[in-house]
Amino acid sequence: MQAAAIPARQGAYMVPPMIRLQIVSALTLIACLPLAAEPVNFSRDVLPLLSDNCLSCHGQDESHRKADLRLDTREGVLTQIKLGKPDASELIARIVSDDEDELMPPPKSHKPRLKTEQVAMLKRWISEGAVWGKHWSFELPVKAKLSDAKANPVDDLVTKRLSKNGLALAPRTAKHTLIRRASFDLIGLPPTPEEVAAFENDASPDAFAKVVRRLLESPHFGERMAMWWLDAARYSDTDGFQSDAERTNWPWRDWVVSAFNSNMRFDQFTIEQFAGDLLPNATPEQKLATCFHRNHMTNGEGGRDPEESRVDYVIDRVNTIGTTWLGLTLGCTQCHTHKFDPISHADYYSLTAFFNSIDEDGKAGSAAKPYMSYKSNLTAPALADAQRLVDERTPLEAASRKTAEKPFEPWLAARVKENRGGFKAWHTLMANKLETNEGTKLAQNSDAIVTASGPNPKQDEYRLITTVKLPRVTGLKLEVLPLNGVLSRGASGEFILTDIKVQVRSKDSAQVRDILVRGAVADVQAESKTRQYGDVKGTLDDDPRNGWTTKGHPKDNPHVAVFEIAEPLVLSANEELMVELRHRSTDGDANIASFRLSVTDQAGETVRSVKASPMEDLADAKVTDATKLDAKLRARLFDQFLEDHAPYREAKASLDRAKKQLAEIKKASGNVNVMVLAERKEPRDTFVLVRGVWDKHGDKVKQDVPAAIAPWPESASRDRLGLAKWIVSKDNPLTARVIVNHFWQMLFGAGLVRTPEDFGLQGERPTHPELLDWLAVEFMESGWDVKHLLTLIMSSATYQQDSATKPELLARDPENRLLARGPRFRLPSWMLRDAALRTAGLINPALGGPPVRPYQPAGVWEEMFMGRFTYEPSEGVLQHRRTLYAFWRRAIAPTFLFDSAQRRVCEVRNARTNTPLQALTLLNDQTFMEASRTLASQVVKQGGDSTTRLQWLSKRVLSRDATTQELSVLQRELDRALKHYRERPDDAAKYLQSSPANAAEVAAYTVVASLMLNLDEAITHE
Amino acid sequence: MNHEPLHTTRRYFLGQCTGVSLGAMAANSLLASDTSALGLPSLPHFAPKAKRVIFLTQSGGPSQLELFDHKPGLMKWAGKELPESVRQGQRLTTMTANQKQLILPGITKFSQCGQSGATIGEWLPHLQGVADELCFVKSMHTDQINHAPAMTQFLTGHQLAGRPSIGAWVSYGLGSLNRNLPDFIVMLSKMQRPSDQPLYDHYWGSGFLPSRYQGVKLRNAKDRVLYLNDPEGMPRDVRRGMLDGLSELNQMRYQQTHDPEIETRIRQYEMAYRMQSSVPELTDLSSEPESVFDLYGPDSRRSGSYAANCILARRLAERDVRFIQLFHPDWDHHSRLPSWCVARCRDTDQPTAALIKDLKQRGLLDETLVIWGGEFGRGVAGQGKWDSPEAGRDHHPRCFTMWMAGGGVKPGMTYGSTDEFSYNVAENGVHVHDLHATVMHLLGIEHERFTYRFQGLDFRLTGVEPSRVVKDIIA
Repeated sequence: MQAAAIPARQGAYMVPPMIRLQIVSALTLIACLPLAAEPVNFSRDVLPLLSDNCLSCHGQDESHRKADLRLDTREGVLTQIKLGKPDASELIARIVSDDEDELMPPPKSHKPRLKTEQVAMLKRWISEGAVWGKHWSFELPVKAKLSDAKANPVDDLVTKRLSKNGLALAPRTAKHTLIRRASFDLIGLPPTPEEVAAFENDASPDAFAKVVRRLLESPHFGERMAMWWLDAARYSDTDGFQSDAERTNWPWRDWVVSAFNSNMRFDQFTIEQFAGDLLPNATPEQKLATCFHRNHMTNGEGGRDPEESRVDYVIDRVNTIGTTWLGLTLGCTQCHTHKFDPISHADYYSLTAFFNSIDEDGKAGSAAKPYMSYKSNLTAPALADAQRLVDERTPLEAASRKTAEKPFEPWLAARVKENRGGFKAWHTLMANKLETNEGTKLAQNSDAIVTASGPNPKQDEYRLITTVKLPRVTGLKLEVLPLNGVLSRGASGEFILTDIKVQVRSKDSAQVRDILVRGAVADVQAESKTRQYGDVKGTLDDDPRNGWTTKGHPKDNPHVAVFEIAEPLVLSANEELMVELRHRSTDGDANIASFRLSVTDQAGETVRSVKASPMEDLADAKVTDATKLDAKLRARLFDQFLEDHAPYREAKASLDRAKKQLAEIKKASGNVNVMVLAERKEPRDTFVLVRGVWDKHGDKVKQDVPAAIAPWPESASRDRLGLAKWIVSKDNPLTARVIVNHFWQMLFGAGLVRTPEDFGLQGERPTHPELLDWLAVEFMESGWDVKHLLTLIMSSATYQQDSATKPELLARDPENRLLARGPRFRLPSWMLRDAALRTAGLINPALGGPPVRPYQPAGVWEEMFMGRFTYEPSEGVLQHRRTLYAFWRRAIAPTFLFDSAQRRVCEVRNARTNTPLQALTLLNDQTFMEASRTLASQVVKQGGDSTTRLQWLSKRVLSRDATTQELSVLQRELDRALKHYRERPDDAAKYLQSSPANAAEVAAYTVVASLMLNLDEAITHE
Repeated sequence: MNHEPLHTTRRYFLGQCTGVSLGAMAANSLLASDTSALGLPSLPHFAPKAKRVIFLTQSGGPSQLELFDHKPGLMKWAGKELPESVRQGQRLTTMTANQKQLILPGITKFSQCGQSGATIGEWLPHLQGVADELCFVKSMHTDQINHAPAMTQFLTGHQLAGRPSIGAWVSYGLGSLNRNLPDFIVMLSKMQRPSDQPLYDHYWGSGFLPSRYQGVKLRNAKDRVLYLNDPEGMPRDVRRGMLDGLSELNQMRYQQTHDPEIETRIRQYEMAYRMQSSVPELTDLSSEPESVFDLYGPDSRRSGSYAANCILARRLAERDVRFIQLFHPDWDHHSRLPSWCVARCRDTDQPTAALIKDLKQRGLLDETLVIWGGEFGRGVAGQGKWDSPEAGRDHHPRCFTMWMAGGGVKPGMTYGSTDEFSYNVAENGVHVHDLHATVMHLLGIEHERFTYRFQGLDFRLTGVEPSRVVKDIIA
């Protein structure tokens, strides 16, 4: 293809003269009939009627065919009509019949009777000779002749349809809107105020072309495109089933970014992802590319037959190819021949044959071979960020420790003095009440020893309810005491404590709160494996299948266990502590005979060991001068002091988090396993699966493609490489159209075909068939040049139109199918996060590397997995990486995203809803709060009067100046907030999570910044 | 001037009804009030028996042999191999596929309860007390033998993730009765040990339906709904002022662009603001009297417990939330039935029975369909050493027991039965799809006519194979 034919490449498109939108007629369009002058178009007018109403029983699917009648072939239809004589045609008689037994479609199918105009259409078609044809998308696309060879083809073909309807393109949108639109479309980020100003001041005719070129050259272009591709590829960082194990396929994500940035031909992009490993002298990156077909979910559920899973994966690949490249619902043919499209059950399994001999065995987790070991060269920025954070925090921790020595000295001196007469770390608990569930009698003596008597049920709970006099509780001690030489009331004399439960109840409230117990240690415990009785830690998980027993150790000795409470517990005067000892072992008959409970307020070692506490040792040492203290004991006491020294604890925790992050990134910087395609030595036989059931083999099939779509390319090998070549062959009528439609959807919010996943008979027809075909052919002729195609579309006046509308036009064309206005739609949620970060200047522009964890509310993973996974947000500037890099846990996608693809199966259609939950996210998500606070502190630093400041914000958030009217609203809200925060400095400090100078002002501007980030205009592609 | 057709299909239009075309509908004045009330105009198909559903989902596969399906005749088979004539080639999971199938008779004592004489095992003493309110289906069966596919089929009609859940279908079809709360709310019991079967969010997802129909999780956390709470230091009046300004500026934008989506957005922000008070009001149990906690049992005092969630379920029903779903995990008892299965019964027995009583005494039971059940049942063969207390049971898809109450089902009834091994359905089998069809029917929906077009096909909850409404259990 020569550049001369594609003026867009030279950036030479002129903006056409602005044409005022004219609405010639306000008549609302209802008619569904083709214009009388125009002959019936089989593919547009007749085939959809047949498909909707007849083909599910009279199509190519033999197994569901009724009366042995086919209406998907002309031969079949000819048996039911008389050419030129609709009124003598059985087909017409049946669809208009008044006899319920005769009427088609039959009433029991729940399909409504054909409308009068539909019947009229079929009659006319028969009168005109019942011209037959193929469904439009199975015909090869051709370029239509343009009315003006110099015009942008997009405009030529869009205008053609508009003028038929008495409409015209809307005027070009404002420059700031245009650059904003282009910037979101190509890099997924808003422009900076400087970029907007530069464009506004550039009066040259190719000013916009320059903007487009700059954006296409930005490394962020690849990131934006990758977000589209990752949804189609159902990319995720975890398996998705059962334990939802992590995988390290992210180098493939970076491969996608880099492929788009280098403008890899789309046919090559396809070939490498299908069969990079089969290319001659395949590079590691080409092998890496094949991870596309391994991004499906994997199921390692215990008890599941791995072969069933393997078959699922093969099927998922074929369905993904159908949706992503072919725009066909191949999934329908998994169980039976397609009812509408020319794809048979056997065709489907012939396609699966290409993927049936991958060297995989259906396993998940870390056993999901084949893998390639890959070392990413894009981890350096993350590594540097993480290292810098550790370097920053290390001296802070050390300094904090050093600073703590100062208050430690007087503290220690006070303890030395205070404890000279002895010290008791543990305080026994006297019960206010003793309870059991199954009838055991409990009694307590003056030594606080509780003894069981009376009925001896197999299992029971003992509950001690008490008032605690200590200022706080950090731990519990349980002494199990021998009674008559044994520890339990059971026949064996051994006890099994399955669980311990600590709760607080208040006299003012009916509700109780659970107190989390973090750790447990015991003097002795039976040797045990998982889920057996022995280890005292088994008492912490509410699982009756494990717990503490001292079996194998002397039964006539007391034994002791110490439990650490997660957060020191402070009880108010009207609160009581409840400690429950559960004996729920499988065999039972192991209830404790006698015990004593104590509590302590000592933090650290005391609650992590059964030995004497540091303070007790201090008392025993009987020193009078703290400086004479044994160094070891002094160190233990310092550690205990630090446990309660908040500044140090914070510094330490902060450093620990940074270190953990660094370790994680270091690990990712080495070789990681990426799931890829590789053929096994012995190919597997492939069979049709009867009704899609994995182990019900039908006929044997070989690698092949549905002939109705396109012929197999000559000389191509019968493998994945050949399949890829077939997909991107110029004889394939679907791929280029489908991909071009994706690009259109990206820019216009909806495709030319509104069902991007379905170009088959049941999908929607294109709104502009000639345009779709023109672009598809152009795409192929240009060498599958993605950047060229985007440039071509964006240089059109159609793309550059104003997106505002008028009620009349809206009523007439609510979905903007005619394109008489620019696209206006809410931006994808991932762009909203990225935009907030960029607007506030927080964004970390680094490309690639291991996934990061943006803020999400605490506890989301924990509650889903009952504590198996903990979500730890990334630290430092890694928090501000783009959303593309957000860790994607398939079982629970990032919470701050809405309307996003679920990444379970391939998705190519944009969802766009408008809900209160989205409003709450944008109002309260931590990222948006941080962006608002940052903008506010910047704007306050700017100085100037409030108008200047509000304009500064407006330029950043909306890329334009606010109007006077808008300013007055913003000013009012600013004043209102300012008044509040001046009166309530405590609220300002809480809201800002800090106390800067001018706190009230910063807080008020934060409110305004948040308001602006929530404006419809701020979150909308205008 | 002639206009050419726009080829807007009705199904595309409705299918996309919260996207661009929601605006279109508003512009066409099809929508007078708040969008949250939007159901399909064609629904219900006929007068419903139930207004709402409370689905008590027991994840993991509760054992029908210990809880409901009494088979005294099995004693003589104890320790003997399951006859092949009964097993008929049934697939087993790989956990027991290589083990001899030795019969473990139900290990609980059963009672015949109430007037109806329903058989309920001793581990569910409270449920025994409300037996006459319950309608048992003992002949449930499913196609799936592993948790995730089985639960996915149980809740979405299909084994693979991607279809809308039953709650999403109901929410989409019938819309909301409540302006201040979402119409499909999900609660997960807070457990102390990691469950072996995670509860994936596609179990209450919207699949290919617009995401506003997905279940909203009511969490046991400071933010009961994600992002519900304003940041600290932002009092209500500051938020109110900010939203007023936001709304005013959005109105100005609407005047310029005429995009009806902006008007919808303004309403959604207002609903968000209302939810900020309606959700805390809902979840604050301090107004509940002592007698309620006594009824639901001691665990109901603990926030996040199944018992506390049962109280919330009743409060949600009182507030006319359409579909309320509880999940209680960890019914997967491959070993140690006497300790492990009992533990789950103890978590759930009293609160479940209390919920039935409570709904009844408040006059809500008639219009609320309560459903209890898990994704499959458990097999008659012991897993592990059959005669040891260590023994458990493997998954079993061919028959299991569920029960329903209220909402137009016959109380005190038992429907369907199994063979003497509780292995195969003996009569009146009810497939998972039949259950779905029946639930839809009770809500006034003819399941065959309730479809959504996606990828060129008209999907329905009950799938393509014929399924039936179990008319015999409908009052």
